[in-house]
Amino acid sequence: MKMQSDLGRVRGLGSAKSGSSHWWTQRVTAVANLPLGIWFIVSILSGHTASYDAVHAWLSSYFHSTMMILMIVSVAVHCTHGLQVVIEDYVHNRKAEIVSLMLIKAVAAFLSVAAIVSVLRIVFAGA
Amino acid sequence: MVEFNLPANSVVKEGKSFSAPADAKNTRSFKIYRYDPDSGDNPRTDTYDIDLDKCGPMVLDALIKIKNEIDATLTFRRSCREGICGSCAMNIDGRNTLACLKPIDDIKGEVKIYPLPHMPVVKDLVPDLSQPYAQLASIEPWLKADSPPPVGERLQSREERAQLDGLWECILCFSCSTACPSYWWNSDRYLGPAVLLQAYRWLADSRDEYTGERLDMLEDPFRLYRCHTIMNCTNTCPKGLNPALAITEIKKMIAERRA
Amino acid sequence: MSESYKIIDHDYDVVVMGAGGAGLRATLGTVEAGLKTACITKVFPTRSHTVAAQGGIGASLGNMSEDHWQWHMYDTVKGADWLGDQDAIEYMCRNAVPAVHELEHYGMPFSRTEDGKIYQRPFGGHTRDHGKAPVERACAAADRTGHAMLHTLYQQCLKHKAEFFIEYIALDLMMDEDGTCRGLVAWDLDSGEMHRFNAKMTILASGGYGRAFFSCTSAHTCTGDGHGMVARAGLGLQDMEFVQFHPTGIYGSGCLITEGARGEGGYLTNSEGERFMERYAPTVKDLASRDVVSRGMAQEIRDGRGVGEHGEYIHLHLEHLGSEVLWERLPGITETAKIFAGVDATKEPIPVLPTVHYNMGGIPTNYKGEVLNPTADNPNRVVPGLMAAGEAACVSVHGANRLGTNSLLDLVVFGRACGLHAAEVVDPKASFKELKTTDGQTALDRFDRLRWAKGSRPTADIRLEMQRVMQGNCGVFRTAEILGEGVEKLSKTAATLPDVAVSDRSLIWNSDLVETMELENLMVCAAATMNSAEARHESRGAHAHEDYPKRDDDVWMKHTIATVGWDKGYGVDLTYRPVNSFTLTDEVEYIEPKERVY
Repeated sequence: MKMQSDLGRVRGLGSAKSGSSHWWTQRVTAVANLPLGIWFIVSILSGHTASYDAVHAWLSSYFHSTMMILMIVSVAVHCTHGLQVVIEDYVHNRKAEIVSLMLIKAVAAFLSVAAIVSVLRIVFAGA
Repeated sequence: MVEFNLPANSVVKEGKSFSAPADAKNTRSFKIYRYDPDSGDNPRTDTYDIDLDKCGPMVLDALIKIKNEIDATLTFRRSCREGICGSCAMNIDGRNTLACLKPIDDIKGEVKIYPLPHMPVVKDLVPDLSQPYAQLASIEPWLKADSPPPVGERLQSREERAQLDGLWECILCFSCSTACPSYWWNSDRYLGPAVLLQAYRWLADSRDEYTGERLDMLEDPFRLYRCHTIMNCTNTCPKGLNPALAITEIKKMIAERRA
Repeated sequence: MSESYKIIDHDYDVVVMGAGGAGLRATLGTVEAGLKTACITKVFPTRSHTVAAQGGIGASLGNMSEDHWQWHMYDTVKGADWLGDQDAIEYMCRNAVPAVHELEHYGMPFSRTEDGKIYQRPFGGHTRDHGKAPVERACAAADRTGHAMLHTLYQQCLKHKAEFFIEYIALDLMMDEDGTCRGLVAWDLDSGEMHRFNAKMTILASGGYGRAFFSCTSAHTCTGDGHGMVARAGLGLQDMEFVQFHPTGIYGSGCLITEGARGEGGYLTNSEGERFMERYAPTVKDLASRDVVSRGMAQEIRDGRGVGEHGEYIHLHLEHLGSEVLWERLPGITETAKIFAGVDATKEPIPVLPTVHYNMGGIPTNYKGEVLNPTADNPNRVVPGLMAAGEAACVSVHGANRLGTNSLLDLVVFGRACGLHAAEVVDPKASFKELKTTDGQTALDRFDRLRWAKGSRPTADIRLEMQRVMQGNCGVFRTAEILGEGVEKLSKTAATLPDVAVSDRSLIWNSDLVETMELENLMVCAAATMNSAEARHESRGAHAHEDYPKRDDDVWMKHTIATVGWDKGYGVDLTYRPVNSFTLTDEVEYIEPKERVY
């Protein structure tokens, strides 16, 4: 039973004095995803991903590998930020919330680092 | 996790029907949410058929007619009947608005009337608004200035004063906050559009000297940033105000003061 | 069937009933003075009817042109048709300027002039240099001044952590055997519990009783609750016959169109397109005081020059002002006209009609806010422990007719005065006199009686009949015959009150019962109004008696005191009290009565 005063409940733990960098980063990555996305689509349409060799040649280029890594980072950050909001919106069990937040961040970190390592291998090791 | 099931005893059942007098030519059905806190029964919807030829033009007129002539137990808040006090905010025809400003003729077919969504219901169309009121108090909605006031009025240019237009006119009916899905999910921590509009009213006032502290207080992932620009607030405001824009302005102010 | 109610007792230095402009200003004052204060209100504070005030608050700031508080005082005295108490009028007009500056310092969003000062507009009855020409005296926040003021005062109360009891219905005062007020009993709509507020001082700021009439600009909540409580405590009500008809209520709905509309240059025409006010008030025309304009309009309609199919209304023109001015300075009424009259005010005239708007009469007080219980020997006898302010009170600054903008001023000036006086007489360190178990019993008995009322006439039925009688027999023009008939009809209606039917028995948010209790309060007001009017054989201000068309200072320069026998079929006892023919200080002289021409 809730017997705390309304004001006490509403004030709660006070302001986190954060949230603006989350909001700002999500907007910045959204903007960055636009040119990166266009570059990616154009690359696919131009046949760079037609075969294993084509992909290999494409990502060996310094320009395209840089663009690829930037896109991986930007999309991963945008994605985790977005998912974080969804979880905060809908998951009201504090434990479940923390676990799922950590989980999406871990998965995003693993996938993005793996993707970056793959690109670097193509660039430097020629694998 | 998200609750997908309704709590016990909250399924709305079909209630009583009251038909219009036999000689009525221009009738309309009003389907109204009823909840009796004493009985503990499930809420129900009662249907009242009204002769519109003997009723004022607004939905509030119909509610009053029902209370006066058909069912005196029907309970709702009302006061000014001209859209300035904010008492009669309710969900009419699927939209939060003021019953006194909503013409019956704007609605096609049966008129469905529910209390403001997602608020605890005290009785019938009377929701418990103590939480948004407390949220209003929490933003400290009063002029804060350390410079001593002059002998006469503080001066404010017309341009500075114009910054307050569209903000100070808010009547605190909370149609907007209770139309906001984000407020539905997180009303305990998200301040909601009505209160954020008030917060911006003080940020925009050239006479206030506590902008920084006010922004500090608002900068929070929940208090402010739960706004996802869904825009229901602006769409539903019965006074034609734009809380969504005010919230965006607050976010812009916070972004502006960052390095 | 009766049951015992759950009663919760409170001790407060001050209990304020009502959270409109006067109630909030009084609450603010007492809280600031360190008194433990409870403000009890039947609606959330910002929903009080002050919120609907539009045009402005009167103060001789002189921001637009030369002005002095003495001119303001003269206009108020003249507007009141010399029935106002000039000591109180002096107090109000002197304090108007600091009161408005105080509101501005609180953060009220006034409109501004080019040089950044508070914007002022002309208003009916407010003139430069004793009637020479209209003057800009109404300090305005667009046309939503009351809204701006009420919200500002609520914000200040929040700042000072005032204690509110919201959606509590005050039932009755608790009075001692010696006539001292000891607080009040209230019913919490939300929980259904009864609360006894034991208070060293009780301040009534419960507003007017416009809803005693069929058509009024007042909110549904303006039901004279304080008046009813005072009458049931055996005290009298003053000058209740003076009911102001606002010239421009929207035809049909009765919604208010501010006098500021005429202040900004709007004017009235009849069916011949004539600006008829030029005939009734050659100098200030459409900006004469409200009783004069309302009578002019009613006369035109009577003479067959009304507009509309049945010649039943008058046209208010604003279209010549241009849509830019309308949307900047009069946005609220432009919208209201569209919604409630279906008229685009920027293009066509608005159909209007004089509509009941304000009650000059009320609970008699002196300028400090103390409630009076006059006797023949002592017309200024004070009721200990009881004060009143705002429309509920009759100070009397408005006399027989209130000037526009003086109501908002009345609220803050006398709300503040109540706070000051309470701070002076209430000792926060003194211990509370304990309540007896029987205190408040009469209030609970009344509550119980109405809650279980099983008569044959629904509340709305009796209320409608009362409203029709008041509208038909106590209107703009009155005659001995019409008033006599009114007294009779009203007493017949009142006699059916014991036969009232209440169908909701709940203790939680029982609005049927609330309306029934409000009806009893309204009936007190209606009876006092009708009987006081019937007895006053002269014409003064808002009381226009066709059988006695002249003001009669020799006989009638006096306040009516109506004591309503609420338990004796609402019969009314009338006594009289002299008008204060002196000022507060010697800085201004008593303004001698003269003929009132605009």
